[in-house]
Amino acid sequence: MAVTKMKIKKDKSGGHVVMVLVKHPMETGNRKDKKTGKKVPAHFVKTMVFTHNGTAVAQANLGPAVSKNPLTQILLTNSNSGDTVSVQWTDNQGKTGGTEATIK
Amino acid sequence: MKRRVFLKGSFAAGTIAVAAAAGLLTPRRLLAASWPETAFGAKNESDAVKALFGDTPVVDSDAISIKAPLQAENGAVVPIKAWTSLSDAESIAIVVEKNPAPWATSVDVMPGAGGLYSTRIKMGQTSPVTCYVKAGGKVHKAAHVVKVTVGGCGG
Amino acid sequence: MKNILTAVLVAGAFVIGIPAANAISEAEIKKDIEEFQNFFLKRFPGVTLADYSDGVNALPQYAERRANWELLMEFPPYETEMDKAAEEWAKPFANGKSFDDCNLAAGNVYPVYDAATDDLRTLVGDINACLKANGEKPIKNVKVGKMARLIAHYRAQFNGQPMAVDYSQAGAQKWYEKGRQFYWAKRGQLNFSCANCHVQNAGNKIRGDVLSPGLGHTSGFPVYRTKWAVAGKPWGTIHRRYGGCNKQVRAKPFKAQGTEYKALELYEAVMNTGVPLKVPSQRQ
Repeated sequence: MAVTKMKIKKDKSGGHVVMVLVKHPMETGNRKDKKTGKKVPAHFVKTMVFTHNGTAVAQANLGPAVSKNPLTQILLTNSNSGDTVSVQWTDNQGKTGGTEATIK
Repeated sequence: MKRRVFLKGSFAAGTIAVAAAAGLLTPRRLLAASWPETAFGAKNESDAVKALFGDTPVVDSDAISIKAPLQAENGAVVPIKAWTSLSDAESIAIVVEKNPAPWATSVDVMPGAGGLYSTRIKMGQTSPVTCYVKAGGKVHKAAHVVKVTVGGCGG
Repeated sequence: MKNILTAVLVAGAFVIGIPAANAISEAEIKKDIEEFQNFFLKRFPGVTLADYSDGVNALPQYAERRANWELLMEFPPYETEMDKAAEEWAKPFANGKSFDDCNLAAGNVYPVYDAATDDLRTLVGDINACLKANGEKPIKNVKVGKMARLIAHYRAQFNGQPMAVDYSQAGAQKWYEKGRQFYWAKRGQLNFSCANCHVQNAGNKIRGDVLSPGLGHTSGFPVYRTKWAVAGKPWGTIHRRYGGCNKQVRAKPFKAQGTEYKALELYEAVMNTGVPLKVPSQRQ
C-alpha cells in the first residue's frame, strides 16, 4: 500500500519548493528476510516525473541507495498561486503512484 | 505556412524546434525520459560520472552548496540538500564515492524547475558525497564528507 | 568511552534518605521537580524548559545533530503514518461509536491516578479499556504500530500544552515513590540506574550516540525512530523504550503496562511538569 504525499512551500527566491514523500520500501535486493533467510527482491522507485500546469518540468531518477520512504524536493522557479503541480512515479516492479496539489 | 528553422549551436539529439508562424524561436530542451541504467550499474564514481555525462569536462565549483550532516545519525537515512546558483542547470546528480554503487540519485530539470535537489540516501560508511551539476556545457561539482557511525543506543 | 560508573550521586540531595514505606508528600514532590529541573537548566545553560521537548536535539554542543534532525523535520518521515493514524482513529466500532467517544483524560496529564482502583491509568490502558467497553478486541501489542499511532494521534492534539500530572492524592504519591525508586536504583549486569545515564551523564556520548537528558523524556512519546524504521517497526511507546533500555544494561525488561513501568512513567511525567508536549518525536 503506497502513499504519495506532496507539500508545497513558498521559497524566498520567489518560486516554490515541492516536497514529495512516497511510502516505499526501497529494497536494494541484498537484504535477507530474517524469517525465510531468502533475499528480499529489489523494489525501489525509479522515476518521479513532476509536472507544472500540465508540463513535465523535472524527472527525478532514484536508485536503491535512496532511503526507505523517500523524500524528494525540487524547486519551481516560475510558479504562482493557483498552479497545479503533480508527480507520477514508477518503480522497478512496474508499480506506479502519484498525487497532485494546487499551489495556495 | 510552416517553416523549419535550423538553429545554430548545440542541441540535444532530436530536439529541433519547429517554429510556427507566431514564432517559437528558441530551442526547447525535452525532458530526458530515461533512467540512468549504466550510471546505476557503475561500481565506482568515475564510471558513474562517465555514464552520466560522457566526456564533458568536470570542474570544481563554488556555485554549488550541499547541506548534509557532518556526521549522520543513521546511515540508512542521510538527508542531502543540494542547490546551485548556476542559472542554467540541466541536471543534478548525487554520487557517494564509497557506496558499492556510487550513483544514488539524480534529477533532470527543464527551465522553470531547477537549482535544487533534496533527497535522503543510504550510506554504508563514511564517504564524500559529491553533487554534480550539468550546466552551460560543463559539469560542475562540489563534495561534502559525511561521517557514518553506527548508533549506540537501540532498544 | 568515559567511565560513567561514578559511585557517588552528583546531587545527593535528590534522594531523600530512606523514605518511610512509600510515603512522600506533595511538598517533597514539588521540591524534587525543582531540583531535577534546575540540575538540567544549570548543566545546559541557554536551553529553556520548553526546549527539552526536543531531547538531544536541544543540546547546544550537538548543533550538528540538530541540523540533521531539522532536515528530516522539513517533512517528517512519520507523516504518512500520522495520516494512517487519523484514519484508524476515525474508523467507527461495530456498535457505531468511535475513539472520540472514549473516556480519556487530556494528553498532557497522563498517567492519571484512579482512587477507585488504586491504580494508574495510562493513555495506552485507557485506549484498550475503551475498545473492550465497546465490544472491540483490545490491541495486543501495546508498544508499537497501531497502538502507538492511536496515542500519537490523540496526544498530538495537545501539542504545546505543558505536562501537568496530578500528584495531589496520597495514592498517586505512593506510585510516584515507586517510580522514583526505580529511576534511581541500579540494575542489570552493567549495574546502571536510569539516573546514571540520563542525569549524571546527560549529554555525554555512549558509543556512537548521545545520552538524552531525563528532563523532557515523556513529552514526545510515542517516538518514530529511524533505527526502528529500518527494522520495520518504526513506532515505539515509552514502555517499549523502557524495555529496550533495561535490556541494554543487561537487566530483565519488565512488562509493558505493568506496575514497574507505569510507576516509572508517572515519575518521569511528574519530573517533566511544565515541559510542553511535542508529539510524535522523530529520533535517530
